[in-house]
Amino acid sequence: MTLLGKMDRLVYATRLDRILFMKVQPRTFRWSPLLVLAALVAGYVLMAKTVGSPNRSFFIGWMLFYGAFLVAAFLRIFGPRFTGTVLDERELMVKSRAYAISGVVLASFAMLGCFYMPGAGVLGLWQPDAPLDWINLGFGFQAAGNLLPTWIASWLEPRLAADQDD
Amino acid sequence: MSRRELAEAVGVNNQTIGYLERGDYKPSLELAMRIAAYFGVSIELLFSFRPFEPVADTLRRAAAAGEQPQ
Repeated sequence: MTLLGKMDRLVYATRLDRILFMKVQPRTFRWSPLLVLAALVAGYVLMAKTVGSPNRSFFIGWMLFYGAFLVAAFLRIFGPRFTGTVLDERELMVKSRAYAISGVVLASFAMLGCFYMPGAGVLGLWQPDAPLDWINLGFGFQAAGNLLPTWIASWLEPRLAADQDD
Repeated sequence: MSRRELAEAVGVNNQTIGYLERGDYKPSLELAMRIAAYFGVSIELLFSFRPFEPVADTLRRAAAAGEQPQ
């Protein structure tokens, strides 16, 4: 068997094909995204407080933040279906509404941030200063961009019936 | 017939069929027509603004009506 053939078999043996081709049964996550968001915020705050002189709490923050970042990506994969196989009309409706609401929420936060930044400088409040603060903020927005549609779509989807697989 | 078979026949996810059965999703006209065409019946027989009478009640009424002449 060729190397490509072996790699192909490995994908099926490890059941990675279920993720790659979106064969996983979509689940709804109605509360867990909130926990992940809380972990993201807590991790960011811990890192931002000690970014100049990394200590133990910085690394706890780093683990919290990037752990939450990874979990956000997994929730996106295993949550309501947004990509992969052809979406049917109901899934397209859920996707479009979830992304529309998420877009408004994220844009609102970005807008509030634009107002906050100059004000924080004047009032002596915290603002992202170090390059790492900005990089983490970017990753935070990326994670929120994964989490929010998953969370909103989970509420838009009716609860699954017990015999849904029939 | 399973949900999966019907879903494949009309080109939707089988979860969508489940939601339709439970009244949790209102289909587009196109999907409603596809389902009606699949069963060879009119749309009104499958979808209604008013909830359908439970099948058990229909059968009970039919049985009662069938017993009356005896």
